[in-house]
Amino acid sequence: MIVSNENKPLPVITDQTRPFWTAAKEGRFVMQKCQACGTFNFQPKPWCIECGSRDLEWAPAKPFGVVYSFTVSRSIAMNLAGWQDEMPLVMCLIDLDDGARMYGQLTDVDPETVRVGMRVAVHCESISEEAGIPKFRPHHD
Amino acid sequence: MNKNDVAIVGIGRTPYSRAKPGERIYTVDEYIAWAADLALKSAGMGKDDFNGQGLGVAHAEAAHTVNWSAATAETLGISPQILLRADQGGASATAMLIRAAAMIRAGVVDRVLVVGADTPLSIPSAAPGLPLSPERTRGTYWDFQGPFGVMGATAQFALVLQRYMHQFPGLRFETLGKIATSNRYHASLHPGAIYRQPMSLDNYMASRMLSDPIRLLDCVPIVNGGLAYIVTSGETARKLTDRPVWLKGFGEANNYYHGKRTLPDITTTGFASSAPAAMQMAGVKHDDIDFFQPYDDYPFISMMTMEDWGFCKKGQGAKFVEERNFRFDGDFPLSTDGGQLSGGQPGGAIGGFMPLVEAVTQLRGEADQRQVKKARIGAVCGFGGIPYGRPGRSCIAIVLGNEG
Repeated sequence: MIVSNENKPLPVITDQTRPFWTAAKEGRFVMQKCQACGTFNFQPKPWCIECGSRDLEWAPAKPFGVVYSFTVSRSIAMNLAGWQDEMPLVMCLIDLDDGARMYGQLTDVDPETVRVGMRVAVHCESISEEAGIPKFRPHHD
Repeated sequence: MNKNDVAIVGIGRTPYSRAKPGERIYTVDEYIAWAADLALKSAGMGKDDFNGQGLGVAHAEAAHTVNWSAATAETLGISPQILLRADQGGASATAMLIRAAAMIRAGVVDRVLVVGADTPLSIPSAAPGLPLSPERTRGTYWDFQGPFGVMGATAQFALVLQRYMHQFPGLRFETLGKIATSNRYHASLHPGAIYRQPMSLDNYMASRMLSDPIRLLDCVPIVNGGLAYIVTSGETARKLTDRPVWLKGFGEANNYYHGKRTLPDITTTGFASSAPAAMQMAGVKHDDIDFFQPYDDYPFISMMTMEDWGFCKKGQGAKFVEERNFRFDGDFPLSTDGGQLSGGQPGGAIGGFMPLVEAVTQLRGEADQRQVKKARIGAVCGFGGIPYGRPGRSCIAIVLGNEG
């Protein structure tokens, strides 16, 4: 595990995952799209978990989804004290419009108002020299 | 398959430790030897009975060598013919029972000693005092969780519970508290449980939210400790004891998805697949089961597990919990050792030995103050690993019985 100067976890960037982190750093949201069956895979996979094709390419994904589930973390776990600034932290499972599910933080929201089914949009934040990360905020179509 | 040809004949569970300042801190190897010694004594066997036989070792989070099962044989001074090594987290103990039974039925070996220990409170790591092994925090799996704000198992399971409460409205926290307080009652009757002082429903409800909707008293206390069991052929079991505990049936589901792989329904676990298989193999119905030992890492997992075993319909778990009496002398004895919630969790992987060891204790009639009267058939769960955005990578169902 790598930890940032702010004492938050950072990813170990590999050739497999670099396009995701670079894109997010540049404010773009990409996922692995199977060139054989069209399935978006997330988290990154070595082949498509639906059809088994290794022909996965990082492709732009629609930056919208709905909250499938959420939790409000109220205290630090795993001794990563850097999260303290963001408590209470709203962490969700988001069902993306392109049909994949991902963990993501929901920002710019009162935790008491978060609901399953809430519409959300991606925004990207820089977390290191090399990487950005997609987060979500409430969205009104 | 129900031929009474494989039995558990010995069990061991060491005292647990919270590794408080001043306490003697035992290593994983010491706990393994301690648990194995207890199991061997309860079976009337010695370590040399396992030369040329089988040794099974559950993967621990405490640092160990690459070929750890063989190293454990060396550490214990046993020269086995076959080694089993399970890395299925809380399903490791039950997984090795299935593997051992297959080896015994195939005639490869006659008996297997299965051990597991962990010292999660004594792992040198970025987070002293917490079970955060280096291997848990490396690889693509971690890289796409930690940086996204996923703070460990409680946050991951909170997402499952929140979704459950959305799909099946009406679940009250008091209902989950009934499971937690029932476990604490059983822990008060188990000398080895780590939390034995009484806990009321008010205590449960007053405990603070850690990660909504999971609160402090929904979580297991982490401990250092070890467990072991011995499984043999039916022939050997009958020679050793007049109280063999027979493997009646098993079922196993790994990487189970309910619905689409990309967007699964996370409110149903792999027990929906493995439990019916185990019950069919054993030739038992729900009413035949005298007690139930789930992998109780959270009270709502005990409830979901009961649903997925089919004791009630999906979504009816709350009603089931409210209607049944979970005490050892009630109509649905549940987690009769106090479970991990009050007993302690010796690392997620080794906690999976507890339901098995308690079921054998009950079926041997050795549960003292918490003995389920006339217990004949017990159901046991192994539940291991947290897949991305779902509960339970491995869901293993075991049916044990004491009638030959």
